[in-house]
Amino acid sequence: MSTVLLPSGSSVSVKVHPVVLFAICDAYTRRKEHQDRVIGTLLGVVVDNTIEVKNCYVVPHNESSDQVMVDVVHHKTMFELHQKVAPHEVIVGWFATGSELYNSDALIQEFYSKESQHPVHMVVDTTLRDEKFNISAYTSRTLALGDKQLATEFVEIPCETIFGDVERVGADLMLTGLNDPSPDAKKDSSSKSLTDDAETLQASMARLAELVGRAAEYVEAVNSGKVTGDPAIGRYLADTLALVPHLARPDFERLFNESVQDNMMVTFLSDLLRAHVALAERLGTAALPIM
Amino acid sequence: MEAIAPKPHKELVKTVQLEGQVLLKIIQHCTEALPQNVTGQLLGLDVGQQLEVTDCFAFPATVADDDSEAESAGANYQLEMMRCLREVNVDNNTVGWYQSANMGTFQTVELIETFINYHENIKKCVCIIYDPQRSSRGSIALKAIRLKESFIELSKEQKLTLKGFREANLSWRDIFVELPIRIRNSNLVQALVADLMPAPTATQADVERLNLSSAPFLERNIQSLLECVDDIVAEQQKVTMYHKNVARQQQAYAVWLAKRRQENQQRQADNQEPLPEEDPNLFKPIPEPSMLDNYLVTNQIATYCDQVNVAAGETIQKLFLMEGMQKAGL
Repeated sequence: MSTVLLPSGSSVSVKVHPVVLFAICDAYTRRKEHQDRVIGTLLGVVVDNTIEVKNCYVVPHNESSDQVMVDVVHHKTMFELHQKVAPHEVIVGWFATGSELYNSDALIQEFYSKESQHPVHMVVDTTLRDEKFNISAYTSRTLALGDKQLATEFVEIPCETIFGDVERVGADLMLTGLNDPSPDAKKDSSSKSLTDDAETLQASMARLAELVGRAAEYVEAVNSGKVTGDPAIGRYLADTLALVPHLARPDFERLFNESVQDNMMVTFLSDLLRAHVALAERLGTAALPIM
Repeated sequence: MEAIAPKPHKELVKTVQLEGQVLLKIIQHCTEALPQNVTGQLLGLDVGQQLEVTDCFAFPATVADDDSEAESAGANYQLEMMRCLREVNVDNNTVGWYQSANMGTFQTVELIETFINYHENIKKCVCIIYDPQRSSRGSIALKAIRLKESFIELSKEQKLTLKGFREANLSWRDIFVELPIRIRNSNLVQALVADLMPAPTATQADVERLNLSSAPFLERNIQSLLECVDDIVAEQQKVTMYHKNVARQQQAYAVWLAKRRQENQQRQADNQEPLPEEDPNLFKPIPEPSMLDNYLVTNQIATYCDQVNVAAGETIQKLFLMEGMQKAGL
């Protein structure tokens, strides 16, 4: 008998949604007194060799030097509750905070092996060692001799954070006021970004301009022979440029005017309705007066 | 509002503070459930005039909502979840709920009913409305609302009629109060955010924000707007019917009264006891129609109008930007 290898080997990778990391951080700040770390269950979906972690919950536990107690009842109840909301999400592993692996991890891993076929163990470094927010994922491999289990080996697997398109909107919001540590500035910018569309448009435009500038710079550098061009980038640039529609002036003007007029008309209609409503309110009738 | 000195026990919520994880959880839940509308519970603390929402959890999608069994299952779910969260030191204090709303359609009678239900137990409750479809256009559509106190009182007294509203000096604008939302993160989470965020490049959100086509969005908004106008006309018809009915009844009553008086004169002449001049069984007062629907529809119209104006305004801005670019390019 040889060691029991995972069928998928090391090609398994983990993708974490930011919401999970946020929840873990929150759980860490809410840990009990004298508690070193928090652990919990990770929920998600497995597609081929990618494990997408979408949700998580904390499981109370107690650990001393050589034994660990996990609140199994809590874990089971929470899982059932989560199943009601999102039946497609299954247990994919567990998380712990801290900067390294503990001895007791093997025991917890064993527990989760019963819950899930190949549980992943995610470690979120909330101590910010090396001033970095390390997130790593491990899968386990049992070292056995004959029928006797000797040890559990943790193998690190790739782990990355993914953003859904819409989560990005939220994440953008988190960033506002990040560079300005004073609480007042934070207040201003976060409330502004919720309302001011013109400002976000401006920011988007500025970013776009910067990107175009960077691309132009690169092309310039390649042309003047300072940098050797990468054919892949070149092709991307060419493709992008080809996508820009070339309109003759009269055509553009016609399109532009039509669109502006459409929008103006829509605005006019909605303003008209608004005037109606205001008028009805003034007159004290429930009817729209001119309709 | 400022004139009334807020007593400690009657303080009103002025702002809502959301923790980052709550925001992300709401976004995730609402987006994944599209096109279904979902709800969930908000947990947190109220600190003076600020409501701090520190956690939330999703409600399971209701399969059969009028079933009493499903209802008790829902209540059980809620209790269990709260108990479990308390064990891990989450603030287990309900402060309201969140729900997804497509295209800003949320001003419904159900919402008011839920609000009033919640209000029985939680004086300071808010509802967070998240619009997944509008958010996919690049800017987040998140709203925190609560009901105005005077409206709650009015609805408790069952006086949601035109007269009641007018006596309380309330207009359709005075049903909901929108509260400003602030995002707050713990220092640890801020470190996480700083670490997760790559150098500022154009994100998907930028791409959507710069998208020139707004026609489908406007089209849907205008369609909803049209439906609203239809609704309001129907509501108006109800009011007209009521007035007609009242007038008809009064006429009938006048006829009956004249007849009865004549009869009584006759009886008086015959030295008989006069009959009473009022017959409550014959002429019951017709209940005045509730103005709630009307006001809600009006609110809805206002929301749609705002959305249309903002979207159209944005598109015009973008068009002019395009023109500028085109001119510079030519």
